[in-house]
Amino acid sequence: MRLLGVISLVFSLAAGAASARPAADPGVSRGEVVIGGTIPLSGIAASYASVGRGAEAYFKYVNARGGVFNRRITYKYLDDQYNPAQTVQATRQLVQQERVFAIFNTLGTEQNLAVRSFLNAAKVPQLFAGSGATTFGRDYRRYPYTIGFLPSYVGEGKVYARHILRTKPNAKIAVLYQNDDYGKDLLSGFRTGLGAKRRNIVATQSYDPLSTDVSSQIARLRSSRATVFVVIATPPFAIRGLVAANRLGWRPQVYVNQVGAATNIMRIIAATAGPRIIQNAVTLISVKDPTSPRFRNDAGMRLYRQIMRQHLPSGHVNDGFHVYSMAVAHTFVEALRKAGRNPTRASLMRAVASLNVRNNPFLLPGVRVRTSARDHFPLDQGQLQRWRNNTWNPLGKVISARP
Amino acid sequence: MLAARTAIRVLGLALFVAVVVVVPSRISEFRASEFALIGIFFIAILGLNILTGYTGVISLGHGAFMAVGAYTTAILMLGRPGLEAGGLSPPDWLPVGDGMKDVYTIPIAALVAALAGALFGLPALRLSGPYLALATFGVAVATPSVIRKFDSVTGGSGGLNLFDSPNLTGAIFNAVHVPGGRTLTFNDWLYYLTWTIALALFVVAWLIHHSRLGRALRAIRDDEIAAVASGVGLAWHKTLAFSLSALYAGVAGSLLAMSAFSVQPGAFPVDRSIALLVGLAVGGLGSLVPLVAGAVFLVFLPQWAQDLSQAPGVPAVIYGAVLIGLMIVLPTGVGGLLRRVLGPLTSRLYPRSQ
Repeated sequence: MRLLGVISLVFSLAAGAASARPAADPGVSRGEVVIGGTIPLSGIAASYASVGRGAEAYFKYVNARGGVFNRRITYKYLDDQYNPAQTVQATRQLVQQERVFAIFNTLGTEQNLAVRSFLNAAKVPQLFAGSGATTFGRDYRRYPYTIGFLPSYVGEGKVYARHILRTKPNAKIAVLYQNDDYGKDLLSGFRTGLGAKRRNIVATQSYDPLSTDVSSQIARLRSSRATVFVVIATPPFAIRGLVAANRLGWRPQVYVNQVGAATNIMRIIAATAGPRIIQNAVTLISVKDPTSPRFRNDAGMRLYRQIMRQHLPSGHVNDGFHVYSMAVAHTFVEALRKAGRNPTRASLMRAVASLNVRNNPFLLPGVRVRTSARDHFPLDQGQLQRWRNNTWNPLGKVISARP
Repeated sequence: MLAARTAIRVLGLALFVAVVVVVPSRISEFRASEFALIGIFFIAILGLNILTGYTGVISLGHGAFMAVGAYTTAILMLGRPGLEAGGLSPPDWLPVGDGMKDVYTIPIAALVAALAGALFGLPALRLSGPYLALATFGVAVATPSVIRKFDSVTGGSGGLNLFDSPNLTGAIFNAVHVPGGRTLTFNDWLYYLTWTIALALFVVAWLIHHSRLGRALRAIRDDEIAAVASGVGLAWHKTLAFSLSALYAGVAGSLLAMSAFSVQPGAFPVDRSIALLVGLAVGGLGSLVPLVAGAVFLVFLPQWAQDLSQAPGVPAVIYGAVLIGLMIVLPTGVGGLLRRVLGPLTSRLYPRSQ
């Protein structure tokens, strides 16, 4: 192993890349910053592949305009098939073999949890974990090299609770949630937000993420005679759940959690079950919706469509994951710029914990990316939306979604 | 004649050991972890081979037994204090201990998995052929959900983190001290641990193959009625084969938990079980050494496919095309090819019994 070290040292000297700055961290050279992460490109969650490709397209756009301090950003994303054991192996490859500067945009709660300890022990930044699990923003003292991005599930649950308290304080509430950390996290935030009114939750039903049917859960929720129905589900289960509710003739006020509320998903529900079940449904959104007529002439969305045309022509422009991933990539570029001309992993983490970006073109107007030494939730604002005329319409102002 | 055959075998084994010992000094630290993964899959495929290769019982559910091994190791390593520190509340009757060094959990994981295999084998063996295969497939499908169900011990969907446990030997950046005053990196340690166990289990598989038990299992595979007529107890032998095979899978799962320094339900999807069967088919049903090729295939082919192209769907197509191509060119796997190529050579040295 020592021999190999000598050989690799000789090679790196010969390449002359890292020799000029002996103090530089791995992955940063004169003209390049190499970062990496894992994304499911195949397997059950392959539809999330756009979260990698969109970010890559944004970095290409930045690189075409000179990069950051004349360094181009190279983003290596590896397929983990959404299997946490493979996330560990791929992350090991990125850190120990590809020697990336930071891990960026790795997708999934379990996937990010699996590598968190390893990355913190190696002092490799784990940036903008693709998960709303509250632990990624809350436990920064124990894991100082980790930060999330999505609004936390707990915060989102509280937003829905506050809206229900304001509009229907005495309504009976039924909840469908996914039986894992994501579903439980959001439900706990929802319960906390209701406070003393949590008695109003008259029925909760969970489903296993590998199951294929939720109709029996829906029948039980229906029999509770609830008039508010909160759906904490991924797209396939949001569709099945709401279609089943409609079939039973249930007409509650629906709240759909952000995870399952993309416009194309809602349109599938409307096309399958008719528009009535989701009429006036409510959700919380932070990222601009590429299908919304509101943003047809919006400068940020024009930029988005231009980047898609130039750097990701094979991608679907209406896929909201692309917008999300560009919002994350934009945040990384801002942080890298802030980390200075000669960024180190430590200076990058300091920059990540002192962001205040008002002009992220991919986020809703008024939503800021903001962090501080004691606030590790970059995106903690959103805007409630109401489903009308086959699209989401803003409902009130931008509000806080802090956990 | 017998001496010549034994000499060749001992020589082959010595060569195998020599290669295993020398490899880490020739590869990078990261590659060592990849080669350890090959060893882990080699163990699992060796086990599946006892069931499918020798006995002719197809299992699409060996990922479940890997999960049993992995969770046994993870839970024993953390012990009651570790689990409770993670916010879990294991039931009082469950003997989870107070935390155990990782290597000591391997034999326990093996036994628990073997027990699970025997328990599953008892009722399932009333089914035959494709029906049994479907039953095992059902187990594989249910595994992640069952793990999530018992979240007071398994940690639910988030799983259990072993990296911070003091019972994980040499967690990444602490050098591992081995006898003889040498130190190893975590990945090299994983490599040596995995391959030491793999070699031992390989020898056991070889002994089974050449024993009375192995002959009985092959008799069952070739013709159940004839086997019974010759005095082979069907139920007992099939259950034993299931159990032994699950034992191997349990060891592989245990090592996988250490290598990934965590366990989650998501680490044991149906694909894992099917991949093992693919590895066995590529290595060659009923062979032993060539099964390494199956393990190499499982670890490297998805990566090579990804290196060629990351376009949507393309890696999966490459993987499938290579697999189909392999099965057309080598229907008996790498083992069959070796037998065809080396058969004429070795038969000159000694007469084959088969």
